[in-house]
Amino acid sequence: MAEQEAPTRAEGLLEQIADTALDDDYYVVRAGDYAQSREFNTPLTAFVLAVFALLVVMAAVQTRNDRPATERERSTLISDVAARKKAQANREATAERLRKEVADLSASVDRFDPAYQNVRIETGDIAASGQGITVVASPSNKGNLDGSITDDDLQILVNGLWYAGAEAVAINGERIGTTTGIHFANGAINVNFKDIAPPYSVVALGPSDTLLQRFEDNPAGHYWAARQKNAAVQFGVTPSSDLSVPAVPKKRMTIRHATAIKGEE
Amino acid sequence: MIPVIGLAIGIVAGLVLKPTVPTDLQPYLPIAIVAALDAVIGALRALGERRFNDRVFVVSFISNVVIAAFMVYLGDQLGVGSQLSTGVVVVLGIRIFANAAAIRRRIFHA
Repeated sequence: MAEQEAPTRAEGLLEQIADTALDDDYYVVRAGDYAQSREFNTPLTAFVLAVFALLVVMAAVQTRNDRPATERERSTLISDVAARKKAQANREATAERLRKEVADLSASVDRFDPAYQNVRIETGDIAASGQGITVVASPSNKGNLDGSITDDDLQILVNGLWYAGAEAVAINGERIGTTTGIHFANGAINVNFKDIAPPYSVVALGPSDTLLQRFEDNPAGHYWAARQKNAAVQFGVTPSSDLSVPAVPKKRMTIRHATAIKGEE
Repeated sequence: MIPVIGLAIGIVAGLVLKPTVPTDLQPYLPIAIVAALDAVIGALRALGERRFNDRVFVVSFISNVVIAAFMVYLGDQLGVGSQLSTGVVVVLGIRIFANAAAIRRRIFHA
């Protein structure tokens, strides 16, 4: 002890702590009542130890009680995340199912409603095929003035075909729709605002066996028979069991001003 | 024998009564326990060296706990609570290890 207390001795703080780890009081021999009290087995010691044990247990119990709270919070969050992920998956599945349903329904509307399909064929909204006749009309090759084919000729021809029972007509690949016009402009006949040139090949879908007969019997047929006879225009008809006509161009199918009247649908 | 009974009573009381530490004192409890542990280990060493004195034990126990808690409190007031706690734990830890080493030397002579 005397050595340690020498003022010249430089010592590290931590070393000093280690050296004097035991309270100095234990080394002091006291006079008085407690001079000989080296007894461990006393109520005082027991009391201090009891307090020590109580402190430790208190802290341990407190820590243990706090843990479930944080644990519960954590598990709640985890289950919350899982529940929301599940809900999201459910909703995605529902959205996917509804999307599929919409696609199915629109496909079924397109494919399986015969009335709608018929209307589309009648208006020229879609290409059509079936039996029918092909009429090929060419101008006279004799150079006579009235031997060329005019828009009137074609209009009469198409009207005659409708009258004879044609269900879909196309001239040189241009389908005749509800708003299609056949007229003469800029030195050529145009249909659906597209110039067409002779020979004019008119495809008419309809009963191939009666179509020609009914055409020849109606005024349009008589007119064309006269044209052949008087102006030498060429006119040939070929029946066929497999003909097809394209759809009317989308531009000619656009409705901008007319709307359906309520209650008439 | 009596001290062992005291220890047992403390443990049982803690488990049965489940006293809760007031929220204000909670930060000081761990440091107080380290300080108390230092006093207990010191007492064990003194016991081995036949220097044990119950009065010194009581005084060192109480003063250790109070001073350690007070230092942490002071540190909290000064804004260096965690640093001061670390300092207290280091010093008490060194003392605990030194005393434990002395006990070990006495028992195992190594």
